Amino acid sequence: MFSTVKDGLRTGLITGIIFTFLVLIGFPSVASNIIGDILGNMDSLVEEARMPAGNLVIFIGLIGFIAGLTVMKKNADVSWLSIALGGLAAGLLTGLFIGLVIYLIGTIDNNGVDFRTYLPNLGADQIRYLLFYSTPLSASQTYLLYFTIFGLVGALARKTLSELSIYRDKIDKVMSAFKSQVGSSKIRGLLNNKLVLIGVIVLVGAGLYFLPYVWGSYWNYIMGTVAIYILLGLGLNIIVGYSGQLVLGYVAFFATGAYTFALLTAPTPHDIGLNLWLAVGISILVSVLTGLLLGFPILRLRGDYLAIVTLGFGEIVRILIRSDLLTPLTNGPKGVTNVGQPTLGGRIFSDINYMHLLMLLVLVGLFVAKRLKDSRTGRAWIAIREDQTVAQATGVDTYKYKILALLLGAAFAGLSGALFASRNQFTGPEDFTLMVSVNVLCIVIVGGMGSLPGVILGAFVLKGVPELLRELADYRLLVFGALLVVMMIVRPEGLWPARRKKFKETNIRSVQVKNKPEVEV
Amino acid sequence: MNQPVIRAEGVTKIFGGLTAVDKVDLVVPECSISSIIGPNGAGKTTLFNCVSGFYIPEAGEIDFFGESIRGLPTHKICAKGIARTYQNIRLFKEMTAIENVLVGQHPRLSATWVESILKNKRYLREENQAVDKALELLDYVGLSDLADTPAYNLPYGAQRRLEISRALASAPSLLLLDEPTAGMNPQETTEMTGLIRDLRDTRRITILLIEHDMRVVMDISDQITVLDYGVKIAEGQPAQIQSNQRVIEAYLGPGVEAMTKKFNRKKIQDAKS
Repeated sequence: MFSTVKDGLRTGLITGIIFTFLVLIGFPSVASNIIGDILGNMDSLVEEARMPAGNLVIFIGLIGFIAGLTVMKKNADVSWLSIALGGLAAGLLTGLFIGLVIYLIGTIDNNGVDFRTYLPNLGADQIRYLLFYSTPLSASQTYLLYFTIFGLVGALARKTLSELSIYRDKIDKVMSAFKSQVGSSKIRGLLNNKLVLIGVIVLVGAGLYFLPYVWGSYWNYIMGTVAIYILLGLGLNIIVGYSGQLVLGYVAFFATGAYTFALLTAPTPHDIGLNLWLAVGISILVSVLTGLLLGFPILRLRGDYLAIVTLGFGEIVRILIRSDLLTPLTNGPKGVTNVGQPTLGGRIFSDINYMHLLMLLVLVGLFVAKRLKDSRTGRAWIAIREDQTVAQATGVDTYKYKILALLLGAAFAGLSGALFASRNQFTGPEDFTLMVSVNVLCIVIVGGMGSLPGVILGAFVLKGVPELLRELADYRLLVFGALLVVMMIVRPEGLWPARRKKFKETNIRSVQVKNKPEVEV
Repeated sequence: MNQPVIRAEGVTKIFGGLTAVDKVDLVVPECSISSIIGPNGAGKTTLFNCVSGFYIPEAGEIDFFGESIRGLPTHKICAKGIARTYQNIRLFKEMTAIENVLVGQHPRLSATWVESILKNKRYLREENQAVDKALELLDYVGLSDLADTPAYNLPYGAQRRLEISRALASAPSLLLLDEPTAGMNPQETTEMTGLIRDLRDTRRITILLIEHDMRVVMDISDQITVLDYGVKIAEGQPAQIQSNQRVIEAYLGPGVEAMTKKFNRKKIQDAKS
């Protein structure tokens, strides 16, 4: 019984600290805004300039509920009373903690101290909202009350769920029976049927074709960004995921592609006006050459040294672009405007056309990456990733294969750079900060090193979702960091880890091979 | 006369102030099983690393079928036909057993990355042959049931055998085995010695091995080289080595006779004083 209370107190303390932190960065009002959007109770209150306090209560309730949930350990067999006490303890301590913090904040604010000096997100409005528009003392009592109630409710809910889990065995049985009926092997067998396969492809293709029409331009913009990042991710996945070379300056190739394309097609500063598709090809080529320039001297380095040198390289390219030295060539910090846009039947590409083009290129990119992965080349890369010394002693020319990986990765980046510049009609040095490299690397790592579905999923999670949650824009880095930490704990191998190809199933004919040696004993 | 597979002359490798291998000569005849033994730190693995190209010796020559391989990078040495295994197993852990063997075949395949994207006829033929060969090699070491298992999931003995089949995949004429039976139980050890013999007899592969298990060494070796502190102290057939005084001293310290002499002298001195 004491153990649950102890767990409850610990949970309460942790929750209290986390919530305090959230209060200090002004998160509760943002959360209330989002809750308000979901419930739709914001609009009517705009004139009053007051946010409904109920939303804050919901947020508090949510946190308290989660705190209560976590009190009970997995598979722990504890009585209703002790779990209730645990939940109560968690809620009470959280409530006390937050109540004290709120009381302090309220009192200090009442004494005329401006929190904004230290905490830019904690303005007077926010503080009044946090105090439920009443006195510090009554507000802290409110917090105490709600946290205690919801902590208790959370703990009891968890206990109820675990009681219900007796029925889970039965559900599992039904599920497995269902699975054996319509198992994966059957689905695969179905896919082997040519007609069905063609049908599926046509359906998916049609879906992809019509989606951009349905979405509208805002979604097309977001999904276009995601697609460009998928292409970048595929490229970096070859370098980092397959061959295991930690290159942190990937943005350099992206920038090279974008600038090459922009300078070849934009009216200023050079007015070359090259054919667009030719310009795309040249962009890729120049990116590859940059890769060669970088790769030859540095790919003899390993691990940390490689990471540091490439990190520097990424920054050097950006700084060079905006430097006075190269301003006549690159237009410097102003960037290049009116970048060329492809035309279709005499009309400039609409966002729908762009989306289609990007989808097509992503599919081609996936195809190429997939074929490479399961080939002699891909195996050599993965061997290098696993153990470079042994890979070389097994006959792999590691230097050559590392350069090849870098060049192919650079080609992907060059292509996406050209598309990026063309779609935005603009490219400037500030598009190519270190953050781009970090983002793409996160896509590869969060998705799962060397995994193609992982890259797609990672791009959606890290580029798509933040665009959708505009409200949280200020907290993007916070969420990013939290996500990475949680990932490392929960799924260190990535959201969708790479699977190894199975050979035996596909090669049944050759299993019954001859002559096992007679082992003399 | 048959050319020896390996002829090493005066191989010297120095680490800082330590001469790990000191002017060692080594001749490995074709289709033989040669062993290198010696106490810990005698320089056995260093000599191995010199032969397989991990280290470049400071002095001396190493010829492989009469052709100098000193200073060649390891992948070129591998392509010439020297394959090796490692004292502490070094598989490509995330890859499956069969993929490990397929990587082993790397120098014998020629598909380029462009071909693997296009999947042309030649590529498919080569790939199919490679998979067949890999399955055959896995079967040879008794791992065909575990072909699609990731290497890190294999039991210890299986990992050792997988290392050997990966080395065999490059179709070597010389196989360097660094303590192939380390950590194995008697049953596994017997199987391993049988496998090593079979490699020589049916696959005509010359074998050079480092081994601490004297029963294994004496059992399968055609020729034994003994190193101590980087110096070759004896060479010959198992029977000769077993009775060699210097070898016994290297392993067990100076003989009992010498010890008693020393002890007696000390006694006399003590008595005098």
